[in-house]
Amino acid sequence: MRVPLSWLRDFVDVDLSAEDLADLITVRITEVDAVVRPTAGIRDVVVARVESVARIEGSDKLSHVVATDGTDTLDVVCGASNFAAGDRVAWAKPGSVLPGGLEIGRRTMFGVTSNGMLASARELGVGDDHSGIWVLESDAPLGADVNEWLGLDDAVLVLEVTPDRGYALSLHGLARDLAAITGATLRVPDLGDATASAAPAYPGEDPVPVTISDPDRCRRFDARVIRDVSVGPSPAWLQRRLAAAGMRPVSNLVDATNAAMLETGNPIHAYDLRLLAGPVIDVRTARPGERLRTLDGVDRELVADDLVICDADGPVALAGVMGGEATEINDATRDVFLEVANFVPWTVLRTARRHGLPTEGSKRWERGVPPESAPVAAARCVELLQATAGGQLEGGADHYPTPPERPVIRLRHSRANDHLGLALTAEAQAALLQSIGCSVTAEDGASRVDPPAYRPDLVDEVDLYEEIVRLHGYERVPQRVPSSGQVGGRAPDHAARIAVRRALAGGGWTEVMPFPFIADADLEALQLPADDRRRRTIALVNPLSKEEAVLRTTLLPGLLRVVRHNVNRQVTDAAVFEIGHLFLQPTSDEPGAPAGPGEDVALPAEPLSLGFAACGAFDHPRHDRPARPVDVYDVLGAVELVRHAVGADALTVEATDEAPLHPGRGARLSLEGEAIGTVGELHPRVAETFGVPARTVVGEIRLEPLVRHGIRFRPAITPSPLPGARFDVAVIVEASVPAGAVEQAVRDAAGARVTSCRLFDVFSGAQIGEGNVSLAYALQLDDSARQLTDADVAEAIERIAGTVAERFGGRLRR
Amino acid sequence: MSDLQALQDQAVAAYESATTLDELDAAQQRFAGKRGELTAVQRTLGQLPEDRRREVGAAVNAVRARLTEVESQRRAELEAERDRVVLAAEAIDVTLPPRVPRRGTLHPVQETMEAMLDILVGLGYTVNEGPEVETDWFNFDALNTPPDHPARGLQDTIYVHPFDARDEPEPDRTTGLLLRSQTSPMQLRTMLSQQPPLYVAIPGRVFRADTMDATHLPMFHQIEGLAIDTDLSFADLKGSLVVAARALLGPDVELRFRPHFFPFTEPSAELDARFEGRWMELLGAGMVHPNVLTAGGLDPEQYRGFAWGMGVDRMAMLRHGINDLRLLVENDLRFLSSL
Repeated sequence: MRVPLSWLRDFVDVDLSAEDLADLITVRITEVDAVVRPTAGIRDVVVARVESVARIEGSDKLSHVVATDGTDTLDVVCGASNFAAGDRVAWAKPGSVLPGGLEIGRRTMFGVTSNGMLASARELGVGDDHSGIWVLESDAPLGADVNEWLGLDDAVLVLEVTPDRGYALSLHGLARDLAAITGATLRVPDLGDATASAAPAYPGEDPVPVTISDPDRCRRFDARVIRDVSVGPSPAWLQRRLAAAGMRPVSNLVDATNAAMLETGNPIHAYDLRLLAGPVIDVRTARPGERLRTLDGVDRELVADDLVICDADGPVALAGVMGGEATEINDATRDVFLEVANFVPWTVLRTARRHGLPTEGSKRWERGVPPESAPVAAARCVELLQATAGGQLEGGADHYPTPPERPVIRLRHSRANDHLGLALTAEAQAALLQSIGCSVTAEDGASRVDPPAYRPDLVDEVDLYEEIVRLHGYERVPQRVPSSGQVGGRAPDHAARIAVRRALAGGGWTEVMPFPFIADADLEALQLPADDRRRRTIALVNPLSKEEAVLRTTLLPGLLRVVRHNVNRQVTDAAVFEIGHLFLQPTSDEPGAPAGPGEDVALPAEPLSLGFAACGAFDHPRHDRPARPVDVYDVLGAVELVRHAVGADALTVEATDEAPLHPGRGARLSLEGEAIGTVGELHPRVAETFGVPARTVVGEIRLEPLVRHGIRFRPAITPSPLPGARFDVAVIVEASVPAGAVEQAVRDAAGARVTSCRLFDVFSGAQIGEGNVSLAYALQLDDSARQLTDADVAEAIERIAGTVAERFGGRLRR
Repeated sequence: MSDLQALQDQAVAAYESATTLDELDAAQQRFAGKRGELTAVQRTLGQLPEDRRREVGAAVNAVRARLTEVESQRRAELEAERDRVVLAAEAIDVTLPPRVPRRGTLHPVQETMEAMLDILVGLGYTVNEGPEVETDWFNFDALNTPPDHPARGLQDTIYVHPFDARDEPEPDRTTGLLLRSQTSPMQLRTMLSQQPPLYVAIPGRVFRADTMDATHLPMFHQIEGLAIDTDLSFADLKGSLVVAARALLGPDVELRFRPHFFPFTEPSAELDARFEGRWMELLGAGMVHPNVLTAGGLDPEQYRGFAWGMGVDRMAMLRHGINDLRLLVENDLRFLSSL
């Protein structure tokens, strides 16, 4: 809502600057986004009369105008043609300034020296009309400063009106609140017969029969007919006000309906009476196949949920949203039919959304307009219309079949204080509510409150609490910090997750955050088998992009897109990770969250997953050291960091050839027998499909098994006070034997005294036999009870030799 | 005796004129070593008569002491000289680039979220997390949202098909399943699973059917606070949010509460903080609406509470001087590594 300050001051005279008023409205009513002065900076533009207009030879558009402001009579060149000799116009003479500081001078075009220019409405900062120059009405005082005459210095408050405060979408409603808050006097314009709204007196008979066929959607219909109007532009002051309020001036007839809406909050639609078939009006829902060409020129197909205003031939308006083109006010209109109705919010909201038509009217209906405002708006509209277009009010009727019941609210004053943290007396609370028009009567220890008609949002007792604290002032409520009576904290798995993220960042991995949307084609590209659980995706009804229209069942597509995005930007070394939810169809082992009471719907399981992707160099090059390309062992190392950070038990690693991995470079990870995920080099064809570099490595593991116990503290090792024994041993086995199994065998064979066993060399060559590999280990034996001897070492080595021979057919390399 | 004096003078001269440690070692061997001249004199002592023996013995010891002193002094000098030369030759350029282990960074939104949670944990709140796919009831109905509220439309909320379904549902295409548009559904899940007093902080990712621009993301993060007890008031809401905001933004931050509207709170408020002369919206808050308490299985005559929700992404922007929200989801490593 754009509120021109001068217009608001017609209703309430609050003695505050525009900025102070904006602050007051913000902390008491609704947020003021901005204070704007669209015409600021204008200077020395005067009202002039066009003396003569002549085409300029050699130009298709320009005219030679002679203009006078009573003092000077000079030549002006003008590109518009919407005026004639005798018209009053806004003349920006040489030396004058337009909004934004544009200084006007003299220019010569086609041999004519133009003394400044004639201004359009847009050039003066009044609205956006630039189709021609702004023709002022004929009584505009010649030579007057346009700025002063039209009050162009007016500030405009831009209000962000919350859905509950529909009344703030009207100058009257806003003024009423300001009067309540500041104590200033409310000045409502004289609204003629509206004061007797219960039984309005209309001259003559109702010339247009109105039927409300759907009284659930249309609660009231005040119809008025005005004959013999003179259609034309509105006076400049009204045009300026409408433009400042953000509405395009159209004609005196349309402008009157818009001005009355801005003042009263009740949208109004005007029809050319002679174009209404019948004339007769029916308010009903649309029938199958009905169409309506609306004012914006769009031919719309209607549905049975659209409320329409119909004449004898069918729909002439989408109720509360937009009128029809066929019956709209036009240059030839002589008789006007005014529709000042009341529609329930939901019907307008649905229709406006369905047809993508948010209008000034629908914005007000959606927030709720009280039926009581219809006759007020009708009277104001007629008054404005007659003042600007003449004509006679011939008749009308106010159709109001069933006035809705208004709530009566019981207000417990002490509970209000408890709720708000205030200590206001019952009288003080009542006075605040009375200031906005509530009637308050004491009733056994509490009060009975009847809210005013213009506040349909006041329904429950708590709604009154809000009015009390708002009018009293939020800033006047004391501040208290309650004790929760408990120690705060995160769940153990949440704390463990933080440890995991910290460990990974410390280990060189960067956390990323892709959207959780993928395409089914991504899973095909990952070569996941058709029966893989991850292929059963859950789709979005209205995805952000058609390409990624399902919820992710794996983090890998998102991570690979991150890699590709960076590589495409010459960031070719990447090591990224993500922790996020997957969305899987629930199973009995892995159910989703429960649905709400009475809801028959299952939610997806949302396990947390930890994903990795890396390409390029893992260790950056330095002047004394080349770059080291990332490989599978870097991802395995990252998993090891994670395991260590949370104190989980050792992971089991075994080779796997499953998708999307390179069949010879993939590992399956298990924790205490539970498979938790895979890591490995991406299959070359998968890498190609995703457009990521060859040798890109990835990993994805379920996080929950790792963090479910929180961070587990490991028992400390007490070092042996004795030096122990250190020795190396190399074993030769067939190259196909997994190194992990050999190391386990070496450890097992070395016995309980082993405190360290480290692989330090891997060798293959003719001297140890074709197809063999030599694995050399450095072992440390410790026994805090006695000094170990060469005999202990020799014994251990023999045991290793025996075990390696037995398990793998291997031998020691002596 | 004069021989001894001469020997001493000769040795001292040799020691002092040694220019390397090797020369000093040689001189030491020549005079004081096992086969040195002074040792030779010492060996002759046995052949001397008793009284001479004592006299000469004392003199030899004195010479030896003197020589030891001179030698160690010269040795110290020569060692210092050697160190100076040798270590100087080993000098390196300490301004060469340091050897930094590969470093990763954590996402600024996650880090900001944890920092904000730390404040709430300090206020005694426990942290609760919930699902990102929600039902209509939790996301809207139970939060007192009218059936025709615009937020329920496909323009605002991203809906989820029933499992294995791909067809467009009729008539308005909403399905009962959606990507939560706010963290508030967890208010209800908390009320339904725990008994008051409740003091919980709910962090999470939320979704809107928004077009992405510098100030809007279709996926962003919120932290919801919920306090329910028997005696809480709007004053407790104000006090709690003021101390939390000061912890987050500094003790001198200028704050203001102003009226607002949310279907699930009454009264409702927004809290603004002043940054560089302009008011910036920090969070939305209010007293939990009785209808929401009822939906959560709590008697509004017995329990009252307050709730608030605040955006994490904008706070991350503020912390790091980020001027375009899209950077947070583009995952450009040049951006992320700079943090």
